[in-house]
Amino acid sequence: MDNVRTHILVCTGGGCIASGALEVSAALREQLERHGLANEVRVIESGCLGPCAVGPVAAVYPDNVFYQGIRPDDAADIVEEHLLKGRVVERLVHTTPAGRTLPGLQEVPFFQKQVKIVLRNCGVIDPLKIEEYIARDGYRALGKVLTSMTPEEVIAEMKASGLRGRGGAGFLTGLKWEFTRKAPGDVKYILCNGDEGDPGAFMDRSVLEGDPHSVIEGMAIAAYAIGAQQGYAYIRAEYPLAVERFNHALRQAREYGLLGRDIFGTSFQFDIEVRMGSGAFVCGEETALMTSIEGNRGEPRPRPPFPAQKGLWGRPSCLNNVETFANVPPILLQGSKWFASYGTAKSKGTKVFALAGAVNNTGLVEVPIGMPLGEIIYDIGGGVPNGKKFKAVQLGGPSGGCIPKEYLNVPVDYESLSELGAIMGSGGMIVMDEDTCMVDVARFFLDFCQDESCGKCPPCRVGTKRMLEIVERICAGEGQEGDIEKLLELGQVVKDASLCGLGQTAPNPVLSTIRYFRHEYEAHIRDKHCEAGVCAALVRAPCQSACPAGVDVPGFVSLIGEKRYAEALALHRERNPFASVCARVCFHTCEDKCRRSTLDEAVAIRGLKRFMTEQEVTVQLPEIRDNEANARRKIAIVGAGPAGLSCAYFLARLGYRPRVFEAEPRPGGMLVQAIPAYRLPREELAREVRMIERLGVDIETNMRLGRDFTLAGLKQQGYDAVFLGIGAPLGAKLGIPGEDAEGVTEALRFLREYNIRGSAPIGQKVVVIGGGNAAIDAARTALRLGAESVSILYRRTRAEMPAYAEEVDEAEHEGVKLMVLVAPVEVVTQGGHVSGVKCRHMVLGEFDRSGRRRPVSSSDGDFIVPCDQIIAGIGQALDARELCDGLPLELNKNGFIKADPVTGRTSVPWVYAGGDAVMGPWSVVGAIAAGEKAAVGIDAALTGAEHAFWRKERPNDTAFDPDADPVQYPRAKMQLIPVNKRRNNFQEVELPWSEAVARREAKRCLRCDFRQPCEQTQD
Amino acid sequence: MLEEGKVTCGCGEEVSEEELLARLDAVLEEYRAKPGALIPVLQIAQGLFGYLPEVALKKIALGLNKSYSEVAGVVSFYSFFSTQPRGKHLIRVCLGTACYVRGGKRVLDTLKQKLGVDVGDTTPDRTFTLEVARCFGACGLAPAIMIDDDVHHRVKPNKMDLILDKYREEPAAPDSGNGRGARATARRT
Repeated sequence: MDNVRTHILVCTGGGCIASGALEVSAALREQLERHGLANEVRVIESGCLGPCAVGPVAAVYPDNVFYQGIRPDDAADIVEEHLLKGRVVERLVHTTPAGRTLPGLQEVPFFQKQVKIVLRNCGVIDPLKIEEYIARDGYRALGKVLTSMTPEEVIAEMKASGLRGRGGAGFLTGLKWEFTRKAPGDVKYILCNGDEGDPGAFMDRSVLEGDPHSVIEGMAIAAYAIGAQQGYAYIRAEYPLAVERFNHALRQAREYGLLGRDIFGTSFQFDIEVRMGSGAFVCGEETALMTSIEGNRGEPRPRPPFPAQKGLWGRPSCLNNVETFANVPPILLQGSKWFASYGTAKSKGTKVFALAGAVNNTGLVEVPIGMPLGEIIYDIGGGVPNGKKFKAVQLGGPSGGCIPKEYLNVPVDYESLSELGAIMGSGGMIVMDEDTCMVDVARFFLDFCQDESCGKCPPCRVGTKRMLEIVERICAGEGQEGDIEKLLELGQVVKDASLCGLGQTAPNPVLSTIRYFRHEYEAHIRDKHCEAGVCAALVRAPCQSACPAGVDVPGFVSLIGEKRYAEALALHRERNPFASVCARVCFHTCEDKCRRSTLDEAVAIRGLKRFMTEQEVTVQLPEIRDNEANARRKIAIVGAGPAGLSCAYFLARLGYRPRVFEAEPRPGGMLVQAIPAYRLPREELAREVRMIERLGVDIETNMRLGRDFTLAGLKQQGYDAVFLGIGAPLGAKLGIPGEDAEGVTEALRFLREYNIRGSAPIGQKVVVIGGGNAAIDAARTALRLGAESVSILYRRTRAEMPAYAEEVDEAEHEGVKLMVLVAPVEVVTQGGHVSGVKCRHMVLGEFDRSGRRRPVSSSDGDFIVPCDQIIAGIGQALDARELCDGLPLELNKNGFIKADPVTGRTSVPWVYAGGDAVMGPWSVVGAIAAGEKAAVGIDAALTGAEHAFWRKERPNDTAFDPDADPVQYPRAKMQLIPVNKRRNNFQEVELPWSEAVARREAKRCLRCDFRQPCEQTQD
Repeated sequence: MLEEGKVTCGCGEEVSEEELLARLDAVLEEYRAKPGALIPVLQIAQGLFGYLPEVALKKIALGLNKSYSEVAGVVSFYSFFSTQPRGKHLIRVCLGTACYVRGGKRVLDTLKQKLGVDVGDTTPDRTFTLEVARCFGACGLAPAIMIDDDVHHRVKPNKMDLILDKYREEPAAPDSGNGRGARATARRT
């Protein structure tokens, strides 16, 4: 052998091969040859290292350096820099978000929390060389078993290890072996299930390709234990490389006498034959797999008799999964105690997962069983890319279920997962973000199962078909009331009555998405709305779908592009009267869903709206349909915030004359009380409130519910319906000692005091506690009122702040100091007045129900932040009980009012509610949408029909050439006034664009709403 | 023993049908005595012919002493087996949301018309097989189609020939349609 000083292991798992690993490996060899290093440095094509997303990858030993994203051109650098000069090629190693490079394999977060038992050799040895397997203790376990253990002892050791079947069902492997051993019969078979069919799972493939001998050794040991002389490995035809490498390994094992007769000089004889699957998912089921090996249609057989009694060709047979077999040699070599030291009480060892979908580090990972789900997704997987929100993870493929963000802390083990309606399954882990429609997910998996159902038993064959028809109908916007119940009932029948695992688990994706995302099904069925913007029949354009108010975004954007500003604004106000308000304060979910972002960046929809509203000289009124009968009906609206005023606006357009009661001296709700004038100038709000008044809406201010009038009183006065848009006006208490001291206030009170009365006491050193919008608004207001310094304390990190990122950025630019991972523990006082706040450093711990990591106290000591004013912005509440004086108004679990999401109706038939009063602190546009829905709900209840004429889609007559390429301009930036001009005044910070900028931005729209006219379909 | 490599498509070769049938005879001879031989033999036969023509199925039925209906039953059960010839190039038309609303359907109709085949079928000259798929993640440049491993963006029906011509001259890309993604979209024919 040559004197090899360095090994380069190039990963040649399926993912890396697809990214060009073979070319990289060839280029490395060529460069080594050129530099005369071919005898010193060896390139080895190894099995899967795991991080497929950054492939091709390679590890250099003994330097222990990990390179990722290698292109063939990089080979020269690696050879010249690293191997000749000893300098790591920094640009090819893992870089932290902070820009630090981490060359070491174990330093990369993806590997840090992993424990590799099954994948111990994957990416470490050359899978084509049995010598390398043997050098890593390969076949020692078999030798030990054959020469020093009885089959019973092997089984006892396996049982003691607690290894459970890795194919999905999780049956104890040792017990299965014991049943087969005890079954009477001379001929027995050991079978390996390599028919890995779940979409998204590829761990068996990686083991078969990267370490085939571990499976052969595991099978041989199992054969000895159960008393078999013949084994079959059933590998799916879609894995030609796995079949090739496994066959190669079999030949080598035979040459070495590790298969065949007299193995290790004992009388034990054993051999394995490969059978290839032929693309039938059901053949992953054990009885179907045996039927298939026998040469028949791969239909399952009823159990009992179980395969341990009557399996392949009627003989006792034991079937285990690839990953299970790969676990066997280390267990017998290192002992059951060692193995059982990993995992949980009931689930021992490790499990390999295939991370896929909306996660940064897709690939193959092996972790101890029981690791919290969130750690796998965030610490190893690196979280969700592109700043999107995590929504759910699908475990176990089409037989499994989804787990929503509320349960990120669940330990990943067999029992915990099945309690949540998911399964461990083969280990597929598909991460889904906010852009995933859960009904569509259910449809996808059901379609798969329906297609793969073998047809032998009617519950599965017919049941999955009928279920699919219902789900497809829902996705097409033709869902009916009762569909969800039908799915649940059918799903249960299919589960209970199907012959095999395929049918018994096929309803799981539907049942679990209904369990956690029933509201999405309801929105599809009742609202004909697909929030994620996925279901084609329900989505005109993703931006419009994402807008809670359903504003025709492509419509007004394209009208701006044609300088038709008045029409654009009128179109906006069809669905949302507060165009000018939303142009300033909306959190623009439309932009988050903009399809342009897949090209460069989202269209700046809010900026366009701002420009559009600037063009309005005299306020235009929307279409109103006079109706004498409606005009006579009395409707009261409590609260003149965005929800109440929106409800009034839409009612007025149907001919009603609603009366609005507002507790404060000025209408606007949070828009005037909480949102500062530098974000929303008061005249802008006043203009749109006046517009609503001109439609025939009366607003009475200084009328507080509970003080000046009651709901029962309104009923007595003859009001037909009441809408409660009373918001969540109370600030939450800090709940720490000393908070009653002078100088402690809460954010809403502080903002309301300043915004309504025009002045509020302000300290020199101000501390704001909280990370929501109210906290940020309070901090920036305090700065403008002359505070010397303003610090925000937040107990989580910036990424978890509920406040809009843009606002947080601006607060920092203006000089607000952000202190994150800090929690207050006590208000320090001096003479009854605040002198500081005692704080504690926090660290992020387990995942909580919000899908975020819970902050927990660190062990560092407490410290004091000196201050003379504390503003607490840690939450908002509503005291609905007090306001509703004895009416049986049902509240939800957070103490807000329970209301129907479609009609706004509460448990009291004539009372409706919407906005923050129902949802808790939410968003302006959400409140506007809730007001509109309640207006339609009230009208429908009073007249018996729906008259929401504004909901009808308007045809878009702007010019658009679908064949032209998208314009290449980048997204236009918002212009802001300089920071030094913002102190001591409340001038609006954002400036509108010029006409040229705005029109150019409008042209960036891809016009997702555009549909090809039918007559052009033939060319 | 089944040798690796034999199952991959044998269509590049210029071999007469008689020659292929003779090879099949040899395979049958080898497998006749093995238990559960039908499926491995079908896999090898498909590797030889590129698909499973009726004449081969009849020969297999006779050779393994099984009824033709049993053989046909097994063939129709597994999606890997095809009684229709497969094309050199696999065209997949994306009908995901973005592509659908941007004319993916129209692209599909044009392809059907130009190739003279329906979804799942292969052109008589065995150049193209037409299939539909869901989302390749190219939504921003919809409509998209995928030919072998190449994604084509913003496909315009009237320029379809320009795209197809490139493949009419080229040999098949290796591993086309054999990757993992193919499983989820595969349909039993």
